[in-house]
Amino acid sequence: MAIKLIGFAQTLHTRRVILTLNELGLSYELEAITEVQTTKTEEFLANKHPFGKIPVLCDGDFIINESRAICRYLVSKYQEDAKTVLIPNDINKASLVEQYISYELSYFDPPLTKILIQEVFNKRRGEATDQAVVKQACEEIEKVLDVYEKILVRKDYLNGEYSLADLFHIP
Amino acid sequence: MAIKLIGFPQSPNTLRVVLTLNELGLPFELEPVTDIKTIKTEDFLANKHPFGKVPVLCDDDFVIHESRAICRYLISKYQKDANIVLIPDDLNKASIVEQYISYEISYYDPPLSKILYQEVFNKRNGRPVDEAVVKQGLEEIEKVLDIYEKVLEGKDYLSGEYSFADHLHTVRAQGIYAATAYSDIFEKRPNVKRWITNLRNRDACKKTYA
Repeated sequence: MAIKLIGFAQTLHTRRVILTLNELGLSYELEAITEVQTTKTEEFLANKHPFGKIPVLCDGDFIINESRAICRYLVSKYQEDAKTVLIPNDINKASLVEQYISYELSYFDPPLTKILIQEVFNKRRGEATDQAVVKQACEEIEKVLDVYEKILVRKDYLNGEYSLADLFHIP
Repeated sequence: MAIKLIGFPQSPNTLRVVLTLNELGLPFELEPVTDIKTIKTEDFLANKHPFGKVPVLCDDDFVIHESRAICRYLISKYQKDANIVLIPDDLNKASIVEQYISYEISYYDPPLSKILYQEVFNKRNGRPVDEAVVKQGLEEIEKVLDIYEKVLEGKDYLSGEYSFADHLHTVRAQGIYAATAYSDIFEKRPNVKRWITNLRNRDACKKTYA
């Protein structure tokens, strides 16, 4: 098993995979992408990611893209050896983890992404921050976190025990 | 096993689950939501969905929500008995299916969702259609489907064999065909057309949209 991760460590998507690799105690090589053009070549589009996106993971000969799919692959393959349970074996428990993974995608990520694009990405590129967008997104995330506050009453983690759903919220 | 699905019968999120139930040949009772206030009560928020959303599925005592999570639950539990493979057992094959599931959420759904929101939801509620949003949605989906055209070269389905990933693309496609004048986005690309035609011709799809 020789794991290579092609990505940019500063991006949320690459960090999501790095978090999972570290959670599973897996060694890997990070091939840092510094130029966007690298991901738009014919070769990259044909063999790594047809949408020209990162991260992409190569595990031996097996290539997989899309950060959440990569994380699921790593968990399915390595969690048993790592003695950690990120996706439970029990169908009902695993399905509730999936439910909370869906929360992250549907409710948590969109407003926070809007804020981070304005406050981090735009600033880094010397572009103006749209305060109206930030304000609206803050209002959205406040309502979402009010609901999370209730879900997490008497629970340390969304599904009771730490799982991939909680991990996905970290970046 | 007594499956009850609570949802708006016409909503894509509910239809997504109905399609999976039909694909797995599972009997179920649909409890239609007719008044949105029903899903905002204290009881619903505490016991069914804390965000006050539908669909919600009850399989005897087990309650689960979020349409894609519901579908995954049904597949994990019932695909073997249904003699159908929507998520393969083989780890690498299953992971590639997950990759294409991610394409659906990341690249395919957002522009089609924008178009359908304008063309279906707004029209149904007597609100004007924002043509600029539709135009932008169309430009986005055209680029996405150009890539799908290459991905589907020499293949009937995204990962080779029919899977949950293909299944998830059906609902939005049905929406475009049934309620808009934009089915050409699929029809003019031969590989995409072949793929979408296969998806729409499945028995489960015909039953869901009968």
